Amino acid sequence: MFHKNVLSAAFALALAVPLAAQAQDRPDITLAVDNLWETMDPVIGISTSGARVHYNVFDTLISRNRWEDPDGATLVPQLATSWERKTPYIWELTLREGVPFHDGHIMDAEDVAFSMSAERLWGPEPLAPRGTRYAANIVRVEATGPLTVEVELDIADPTFPNRLATPLGFVLPKHYYEEVGTDAFGQMPMGTGPYRVTSFDPSVELTAEAFDDYWNGPVPAESLTFRIVPEFSTRFAGLVSGEFDIIVSIPADQIEQVENADGVHVLSKGIENYPMFAFNMLEDDETLPDNPLTDPNLRKAMVSAIDRDAIVEALWGDATFVPTPFNFPEYGDYFDPERERAYPYDPERAAELLEASDYDGEELEWHITRGFYPNYEIAAEFMVEQWRDVGINVKITLVDNFSLAYERPFHLLNMSMSSDFSGDPWRPLWLDWGPTSSRVNASHRTYVPTDKFLELGEAFVQAQDFETRYAAYLDLVAEWEDITPGMYLWRNVVSYGVRDDLDWDPGNSAVTIFDKRYLKN
Amino acid sequence: MIGYIGSRLLRAVVTLLITITLVFVFIRFSGDPAAALAPPDAPQEVIDQYRRALGLDQPLWKQYTAYLGQLLQGEFGYSIHTGLSSAQVFMGRLPSTLLLGGSALAIALLLGLPLGAIGALNRGKPIDRFAMGFSVFAFALPNFLFGLIIILVGALVFQTYVGASPDSFVDVFFPALTLGLASMGAFARFARSSLLETINAPFMVAAEARGIGGRRRLLRHALPNAAIPLVTLIGLSLGGLIAGSVVTEQVFGWPGVGQLLVRSVATRDIAMVQFIVLAVAVTMITANLIVDLLYLLIDPRIRSK
Repeated sequence: MFHKNVLSAAFALALAVPLAAQAQDRPDITLAVDNLWETMDPVIGISTSGARVHYNVFDTLISRNRWEDPDGATLVPQLATSWERKTPYIWELTLREGVPFHDGHIMDAEDVAFSMSAERLWGPEPLAPRGTRYAANIVRVEATGPLTVEVELDIADPTFPNRLATPLGFVLPKHYYEEVGTDAFGQMPMGTGPYRVTSFDPSVELTAEAFDDYWNGPVPAESLTFRIVPEFSTRFAGLVSGEFDIIVSIPADQIEQVENADGVHVLSKGIENYPMFAFNMLEDDETLPDNPLTDPNLRKAMVSAIDRDAIVEALWGDATFVPTPFNFPEYGDYFDPERERAYPYDPERAAELLEASDYDGEELEWHITRGFYPNYEIAAEFMVEQWRDVGINVKITLVDNFSLAYERPFHLLNMSMSSDFSGDPWRPLWLDWGPTSSRVNASHRTYVPTDKFLELGEAFVQAQDFETRYAAYLDLVAEWEDITPGMYLWRNVVSYGVRDDLDWDPGNSAVTIFDKRYLKN
Repeated sequence: MIGYIGSRLLRAVVTLLITITLVFVFIRFSGDPAAALAPPDAPQEVIDQYRRALGLDQPLWKQYTAYLGQLLQGEFGYSIHTGLSSAQVFMGRLPSTLLLGGSALAIALLLGLPLGAIGALNRGKPIDRFAMGFSVFAFALPNFLFGLIIILVGALVFQTYVGASPDSFVDVFFPALTLGLASMGAFARFARSSLLETINAPFMVAAEARGIGGRRRLLRHALPNAAIPLVTLIGLSLGGLIAGSVVTEQVFGWPGVGQLLVRSVATRDIAMVQFIVLAVAVTMITANLIVDLLYLLIDPRIRSK
């Protein structure tokens, strides 16, 4: 009897050891972040600080392959195993079978239909109004079988699957969400992702542990902790001393310091966001009775007067580049490295354009949100000097938040443009400058699109095959450059300080994911 | 005496009302909370939806009277981001801030008072100059700078992280030292000058003439008289316990009320900001009130007025 017990105990131990060893091998990863979004509902919390967490807790229906291609130009199945365009307006998604949420409940079509529902995202008073943009044009989402969902749009959009890799594609557990409600869900979120949230205090930290029933396991880290450390020097000290494994948001002028520290390295990644400014070219802005920027010659002169390549080189080295309008590398076949800007740096041309304008030296006010975009203020000072050289007088006004920046009068307004959405330039070019955009409609609107722009935009949206769409895109960009309603500065960059013993690469993204594809053991 | 207490109470209520009114107005004029909830490129209708949900589409006076009404019923509102009760979130952060502020105050008193006494009793001697030089230095050194120096030296020289980790209260020492040093300087200077004033007062000469011993003169005669300005200073420090550590909390990543306040202001979380400022104001006003009442106990001259 005794022997039998000893034997079985020894046998159990022998079995348990490899499992325990596997668990022990996994690191506990602590990230020092500058802040955490207050709610982890992955749509209400759309933000850089939220997205660092979301993709570890939730999965999207479709995913972009950034582990092999940093720009993620190809789509791969995630919670949806396939997608089919049944009619020009109707898409059918087939879901992965047997995917558990963190409470063991198995995901089905009802969860997907709920996650994309009118009630949650696109109805009259949705639970998560921030999702309106991503859910644009959806008119019906319906579970048509246990693992099939139909989505109907009111436009023929060949790029729709790309949107299912955005926050629109996150699948939430309907039963749990309805049980606890929107606010409580945001405080203790649950998804199908590789990590299960164990605690969340929005002003302190979020902790999550490996979810070992993850459908795409094994999960490479034992736990994740996102801890708020607002001060960069403190984050840096914690990284160097081993308290933190990863730190975010290294100020551009501190990158060298982090690189020189022992046992850590820096990852600088271009992300899908482009800081820029818009010209206020409204004729009917009551706060600017004689707005000189209604004259396209002045706007083009201002763009031609700036040596953006030199500024970017000076501020960023080779970490980023100046984009030709809407020609972004994340757009796969749409990206043409050879295409050039219509108004490159050319001081002589700037002088000619200025001469042709009615500008008589009045001061133009540029509203900038303090510290929001890295290096923006320094670049702005360079630019103000370059404008002064050609005789244009620009004054920078720094304010503390966007709603103050939006207060008129202003001639130039800082902003940035995200490019993720459809896998092609639809969002930055049409949704962000077209008739429904905030540039045209919001209280801080800056321009009225020309009839030609609207016409070309409609043609672009209607185009179904790549060749037609690509040609329409080029026509639309040409018209945008002819209007010159704004100027792009560079592709935004995020920097991480990472301990050398961690083999992790997030690709060109501000999203941090710690599944086995991005974090290698 | 009743008149004295009554006028102090009335002053406290008026101060409180002015504070909450100012905060109410300023938080609304320093940036639209609805715009902070929506992404920068959100369409106007999304911003409008948030404005309606938050009641920000109502006229300001309506919002204000509603706010006052809620306050009278003990309703402090909910965080616009988390939906949690602002009082509850605040109470969650309060213990760690009190721990930090309390430890800092203890450090300041334990170092500052003896330093001041040593200075006073050795007036003009090198030890006095050293003690006062040190307290001026501590008072003048910005505490974010001192904090950063401690943190960076800890990491780069000793490979040790001295910033906060939320579950370890041992970590309070360095932030408390950082925060306490400045008030230590103030305590030392106050204690010294106050003690000097009483040591040289005529009643001390009289006590000496009556043949009372040096130790008894110091403890029974000089200290109680020197305590009056110090009580004021300590009282004010108690009032500042909650709000005094904003910078130190940011630098060390200390998860207290200060960090919550900075964050709530940045994200325009109106109910949170309003509640924190209300709590700070109430603490300040109460501390002042207690100091005023303590005078009655310490100083018989006020009692007899």
